[in-house]
Amino acid sequence: MRRSSGTYRQRAVALAAVAALGAALLSGCAEDSDDSGGSSGGSGGGGGKGKTTITVGTFGVFGYKQAGLYDEYMRDHPDIRIEESSIERNENYYPQLLTHLGTGSGLADIQAVEVANINEVTTTQADKFVDLSKASGVEKDDYLPWKWAQATTEDGRTIGLGTDIGPTAICYRKDLFEQAGLPTDRDEVARLWAGDWQKYVDIGKRYMADAPDGTSFVDSAGGVYNAVISSSAERYYDRSGKLIYKDSPAVKEAWDLAVSASQAKLTAKLQQFQKSWDQAYANGRFATVSCPPWMLGYIKEKSGAKAEDKWDVAAAPKPGNWGGAFITVPQAAKHKEEAVKLAAWLTAPEQQAKVFQKQASFPSAQAAYRLPQVADARHPYFGDAPTGKIFAAAAKGVPTQILGPKDDLIKQNITDIGLLQVDQQGKSPEDAWKAATKTIDNALDQ
Amino acid sequence: MSTVISSDTAAEAAEGGGSRGGRTRRGAKGAGRQMHGGKLTYAVLILFTMGSLFPLVWTAIAASRTNTRLAETPPPFWFGGNLFKNLDTAWHDANMGAALLNTTVVAGTIALGTVLFSTIAGFAFAKLRFRFKNLLLMLTIGTMMVPPQLSVVPLYMTIAELEWTDRLQAVILPTLVSAFGVFFMRQYLSQALPTELIEAARMDGASSVRIIWHIVFPTARPAMAVLGMLTFVQAWNDFFWPIIALTQNGNPTVQVALTGLGRGYIPDESVIMAGALLGTLPLLIALLLFGKQIVGGIMQGAVKG
Amino acid sequence: MTRPFGSTAGAAAPPADQGGTAQRPVAKTPDPAGPRRRAWRSRRYRWDIKYSPYAFVAPFFVFFAAFGLFPLLYTGWASLHRVELTDPTHMEWVGMHNYSRLWDDEFFWNALRNTFTIGLMSTVPQLLMALGLAHLLNYRLRGSTFFRVAILTPYATSVAAATLVFVLLFGRDYGMVNWALGLVGIDHIDWQNGSWTSQIAVSSIVVWRWTGYNALIYLAAMQAVPDDLYESAALDGASRWQQFLHVTIPSLRPTILFTVVVSTIGATQLFGEPLLFNGAAGATGGADHQYQTLGLYLYEQGWVNLHLGRASAIAWTMFLILLLIAAVNAVIARRLRKSQ
Repeated sequence: MRRSSGTYRQRAVALAAVAALGAALLSGCAEDSDDSGGSSGGSGGGGGKGKTTITVGTFGVFGYKQAGLYDEYMRDHPDIRIEESSIERNENYYPQLLTHLGTGSGLADIQAVEVANINEVTTTQADKFVDLSKASGVEKDDYLPWKWAQATTEDGRTIGLGTDIGPTAICYRKDLFEQAGLPTDRDEVARLWAGDWQKYVDIGKRYMADAPDGTSFVDSAGGVYNAVISSSAERYYDRSGKLIYKDSPAVKEAWDLAVSASQAKLTAKLQQFQKSWDQAYANGRFATVSCPPWMLGYIKEKSGAKAEDKWDVAAAPKPGNWGGAFITVPQAAKHKEEAVKLAAWLTAPEQQAKVFQKQASFPSAQAAYRLPQVADARHPYFGDAPTGKIFAAAAKGVPTQILGPKDDLIKQNITDIGLLQVDQQGKSPEDAWKAATKTIDNALDQ
Repeated sequence: MSTVISSDTAAEAAEGGGSRGGRTRRGAKGAGRQMHGGKLTYAVLILFTMGSLFPLVWTAIAASRTNTRLAETPPPFWFGGNLFKNLDTAWHDANMGAALLNTTVVAGTIALGTVLFSTIAGFAFAKLRFRFKNLLLMLTIGTMMVPPQLSVVPLYMTIAELEWTDRLQAVILPTLVSAFGVFFMRQYLSQALPTELIEAARMDGASSVRIIWHIVFPTARPAMAVLGMLTFVQAWNDFFWPIIALTQNGNPTVQVALTGLGRGYIPDESVIMAGALLGTLPLLIALLLFGKQIVGGIMQGAVKG
Repeated sequence: MTRPFGSTAGAAAPPADQGGTAQRPVAKTPDPAGPRRRAWRSRRYRWDIKYSPYAFVAPFFVFFAAFGLFPLLYTGWASLHRVELTDPTHMEWVGMHNYSRLWDDEFFWNALRNTFTIGLMSTVPQLLMALGLAHLLNYRLRGSTFFRVAILTPYATSVAAATLVFVLLFGRDYGMVNWALGLVGIDHIDWQNGSWTSQIAVSSIVVWRWTGYNALIYLAAMQAVPDDLYESAALDGASRWQQFLHVTIPSLRPTILFTVVVSTIGATQLFGEPLLFNGAAGATGGADHQYQTLGLYLYEQGWVNLHLGRASAIAWTMFLILLLIAAVNAVIARRLRKSQ
């Protein structure tokens, strides 16, 4: 049974002290400004017998269980039990979360929110969440400023604590680069295209001129678009929240580059995360792909042992961010105080570093970048590339992106309708753009 | 209890009625269903069987491989050595023990309820006369036409109001009856149950309940078995609603439990397939058992007592 | 309201007790309890005739009212509002806007067209094959249980697992279908991107999953066809094919009607297969929406774009379309019956 019976409120205060102390110590910050616990006063003295069960609802793998964080927390807090339930895909998770929020029931004490949805949640659902900015153990300066801002409302409430982020680099095949007569050293490769995505496409043309049989430079037009747009600050909405995607210079640049890559036949005409994409990895059919840290495991898994040491990681022309998540505590949570403490602890730099070590979810807490788990991280499969350093540098270079509630939907339709029509169905870019905007307008129209 | 009378009269009535009855399978050379299947029959059936089983077999093959191997081409056509490792991972990651038990309870109850209620309602629609019958029947068929994706939100509001989230009744009660089942039994009974048989029983003073017990149920048995099996399978695989009403840590059904598998940024297809296999296997076993029963029911014929 | 034997039968034969007392139904002896009891009995009998049908259909309608009608009405109400999934309790009245908007919505018409063609391509071959399969299964066979269970396994396989396999089968670069076509000299087909090819692929999943199921339903009905019909047909010198055509098919008419109705409804609501055929790319139904069905469009509007009100309007439109089909069907059936 999910809910163990008994009253937990009394325990809260006792726990608050412990958790606050722990979090404050771990966060590595000297100041002990508000140690009051941020929780309701309540009666002192712990009388309840049953354990408090904190439920955590996530999608995909957050790695807390895998990194042993729950066990560690439960060891330090004998009265707490943590149960995680996870839904494989965010497409299933997010509507369920909205349904539960709407009815105020069925919610876990901690709920994860994907970065694609954080703006919508922050702008339309903020009142249903606890403000975590003032929770004890949470230090704003620990986090990357742009990550912190994404879950903060206009009136300054922060409803989500950053877990991981997805600073992007370029993963490339050394063996294919060599056969095509390109340099293979990761610093040299990074220099080839540093600072300009156009250079990346130009290198692609050089690659194709001497490409090994049956290979392409990049996986898909959608992948190129996504890499470029992820490194831009203003994308689909302007600073005032107005929808500008049709005239956005960043969208135009990314679209044009993706189309030119497709028309120059640099792409393998795939669609990311489809079966055929996996198979192309296994068969080594393309030489580069834009990759955040979380994708390294995917590439390794799908490319298999025979591609060991063939992949490497180089800095992207411009660093961008792709993916990441937040954890939140709904107002309707059954054990709000305990959940806030757990959330603060889970997202503290030390814990983020541990998760990175285990799961390759890159910390959003910049304070973690100094810790050895991140600073000294290398990836043996990718030629021992210093992934910790490469991605930390990228993370700091990510522009503060202006998010909007429907970013993901717009991006999805531009890549899966527009660019797919160009890349796979051979339609003209004009028609494809029209088809994409029509779909988007239909979707956005309330 | 003397169960005999009604079925005896039934048989009499049927014989008197002429066209029906006499369900002996012996004799009758040349009639379609007494014939033994020829070679071509077997060939076609084996072809269909292979086609039907292939994806399932391939699921088992995939479950016995590694994630990496599954991405390669050509895909594996034969079993690898990882089956038990993947099954083990799937079993533990997905809390399958509890899930299987829950699903058995849920699917069993739904199947039982559906068969029972559908049979009596189907009988009423097929053979009894009452006011608003056609209207009610149209309404029944009409309920099938409601797209299931959409009732989710109002249904969830109801369940939340009743504080039934994470309880098995949240997935049992909304699907305990089915318009499909009523319609199915109605169509079957209107064909398989001779009206004279009921009339004769009425003449003998049998009450409606008695007619149901002694005439309708025996006649409907093959269809009840089919409906029960179909409903069980359907309930077992139902996904869209349970995933909203239940959570993995509460009272998951198999399909809910399976959503927690493999996945993440690196979906482990082989573990997912192992989970799918685990979720389907009990069904296949049950299918085999029920399948026998169905065959038995069908072979016995309806009014053999 | 006249039952063929209602009043007369009630008067002629005393009704049997419902089994509570020792009264055996065999007894047609005069009732010793006197006229009062007899009157009570016959009244009870009339009540039984009159009201038990309602009792029999009641459980269904009670459950339906609780868990079916409310959602249906709620959906209808929601379709007249602007409702977003981000806040499902906040409703803003917009009248018929959601419906009039659909009228001008090319994606809706596209989905309607796709639903129709995919429905046709999946239902017709599926039912024909099921009929043939049931006929074969109706023979005396060695291992008949095995065959029956085997053809039902597709139904038992979850849509997710099945579709995953079919996605692999219909893959552009490494799919087995293309590999087989290559053997006979046909070039690789990009199944997913062509509008006909993708619809054929989606239909094939449906056909694969439901053929065995329908075959079993037909088989159950075939078992109820009296043997003597075949016997007399055989005596008249009818071939097996003629027996199938002139005995089996007419006897199966209610069952066939049943499967046609159910398949039509299923085809109209088709959702899981096209969704999963698109793999990770969601509910678009392909780059050009080439296999987006109404069910998928409903899902996209409601659960991807979060417009619950509009999704409700699509749901009700689907509902009305089905009612329309049913009505047309009924009219045609009546005409046919009259003309006969």
